[in-house]
Amino acid sequence: MRKMLAIGATKFLIWLGQAMNKQGSSTPGKIGLKIYPDLLKDLAAQVREDIFVVCGTNGKTTTNNLLCEALRSEGKEVVCNSAGANMLYGIVTAFAASASISGKLNADCACIEIDEASARRAFPHFKPNYMVLTNLFRDQLDRYGEIDITMDVLKEALAMAPNTKLIVNGDDPLSVALAKQSGNPFVTFGVDEQVIDAKHAAKETKEGRFCQMCGAQLQYDYYHYSQLGKYHCPKCDFARPKLDYAVTNVHLDRGISLRIEGRQFRIKSHGFYNVYNILAAYAAARTAGFYLERFDQVLRRHKTQSGRMEMFDIGGRHVVLNLAKNPAGFNQNISAVLEDKSPKDLIVVINDKAQDGKDISWLWDVDFERFHDARVQTFVASGIRALDMQLRFKYANISSKVEEDVTKAIERLVTEGTGNLYVLCNYTALYNTHLILKKLEEGKV
Amino acid sequence: MKLTIGHLYPELLNLYGDRGNIICMVQRLRWRGIDAEVKEFDLNDKIDFSKLDIILLGGGSDREQLLVCNRLKRIKKDFIDYVEQGGVVLAICGGYQLLGNYYKMGDETIEGLGVVNIHTERGDSRLISNIVLQSELFPLPIVGFENHGGRTFIGDYQPLGKVLSGHGNNNKDKGEGILYKNVIGTYLHGPLLPKNPHLCDYLLQTALNRRFGKVDLPELDDKDELAANHYIVKRFTQSE
Repeated sequence: MRKMLAIGATKFLIWLGQAMNKQGSSTPGKIGLKIYPDLLKDLAAQVREDIFVVCGTNGKTTTNNLLCEALRSEGKEVVCNSAGANMLYGIVTAFAASASISGKLNADCACIEIDEASARRAFPHFKPNYMVLTNLFRDQLDRYGEIDITMDVLKEALAMAPNTKLIVNGDDPLSVALAKQSGNPFVTFGVDEQVIDAKHAAKETKEGRFCQMCGAQLQYDYYHYSQLGKYHCPKCDFARPKLDYAVTNVHLDRGISLRIEGRQFRIKSHGFYNVYNILAAYAAARTAGFYLERFDQVLRRHKTQSGRMEMFDIGGRHVVLNLAKNPAGFNQNISAVLEDKSPKDLIVVINDKAQDGKDISWLWDVDFERFHDARVQTFVASGIRALDMQLRFKYANISSKVEEDVTKAIERLVTEGTGNLYVLCNYTALYNTHLILKKLEEGKV
Repeated sequence: MKLTIGHLYPELLNLYGDRGNIICMVQRLRWRGIDAEVKEFDLNDKIDFSKLDIILLGGGSDREQLLVCNRLKRIKKDFIDYVEQGGVVLAICGGYQLLGNYYKMGDETIEGLGVVNIHTERGDSRLISNIVLQSELFPLPIVGFENHGGRTFIGDYQPLGKVLSGHGNNNKDKGEGILYKNVIGTYLHGPLLPKNPHLCDYLLQTALNRRFGKVDLPELDDKDELAANHYIVKRFTQSE
């Protein structure tokens, strides 16, 4: 009875949230769990086959959605928190949304994106069969403290789920060290060739330059970006493991093409980091025993969710919206902007709400200096911390205008700019900016 | 004219945006036609302190601080001599803790440089907040962001400033950081200097005077810097 009440309340609140045009929310799940504390445990236990969780600093949402689409292409019913609400209550919301009002869940698999700090709160409710670890970068240190703490919190979660098989980014020494130290079984994926100009990558601010096992400075045969690459420790036997799922033949012109296990794939998305998202989803599904005959179609049909290199056409003018919320992600964004050789304008929107991280000092770890070569005509700093962004630009010898109101900034550059506009936002700015651009595209403003 | 900035162990102590402080010092020198050289030191490098005008010791995680602390023993004497001879130091967060005698975290104790007779103990929770200080050095407040598990006790030393909003050294005595000779230690991390051009220029002026005798530091157009500073002051001191 309590269970039905809990599901009823959760579903009603989800409906209410949608009616009010709110983003994927955690409040319904919170109320549901209050009414019936075993709600998540009960629903997760009804998943007939496998539960996957996707964790890590960057790429969670894209990887999780690709994995979900891949499993659906295998004919599976899948529960997925595709909107990216990835803390405990958001996960409860996703499960409740898929359940019937009587509390029956019809699902073969679950694909759950989970925030690094939330894993230890979720695992008492269910033990995943598989956990994808995309990467570990510095992100929201005001919430996590420092990256060592993030790793400790993940180890704590994994200690509750010792049989969960990890699918780990082998190019990331921090993720691999975490997998080894956890004692969980694991497989690895990675990019087994040098793809991009490493000159910049070698200079980026990095985590984990020191061996997690013995403390010596890691040596690299090559870098991809941040601390990702082919590394080994000069003192002990820690090194990039032999990759179970290796990508080769990567080409980044007009989308991405790559080869995994001798199979050739293409996707329209831009940005090297998407290679990892594709690979992680592929490796997870293959590890669980799926053959993925239709993975090529999955990639062709994949629609990037809002704000991930999302493109708009506003009266013939081209606008690209992308999420950029930490140094590793932002540096990848800058690389993606540099891939476009035509003149452009750029708006950077920086908020400092709790979900963004109240600390925006990471802006100084981003290599904005690289924008000098990007043919940007007008730079605009926007969002709650527009003044900080302007200052960061100034010290990169870039002069910018401040317009705290995102709508005004976009409208001005769409009418007066080059006709090619990039909008880079951190987390809480993203959804509103997406709505603004959608409205403009539909001519509603 | 040239200043040399020694960045100690950036590969370990670079927790969050410390690079912003280096960028800020270098740019504010160059904009005035003064050369700046940044020397990064790895753990195994030998440091000639007589060649350095400003030392930046940044923040690191507890684990990384342990690695650094073992190395610090070897440079302890030279570092203290540099400070006593008026050398300029900016020590942030973990670097600030390392200036003291020790940092006690649970069962483990990290031995510091002992430049100042202060110590740090790990608290129950991390102190994480935007922060605003009033320093005796300047009328304009100092703004930043703090994120530390340690509580630092500075005894009778002069703090960098009085906390107007935020936690400070230990969340008790309203003091933040330390001022000792030409050393500034503080928990305000990352882009401390860009939003506090007065503090940056204070460090540069002190270092220039020490190296070249009295040097005139031309004013810069700090409109953007001051706007960012005022915004934080207004938001965090006037709403409470």
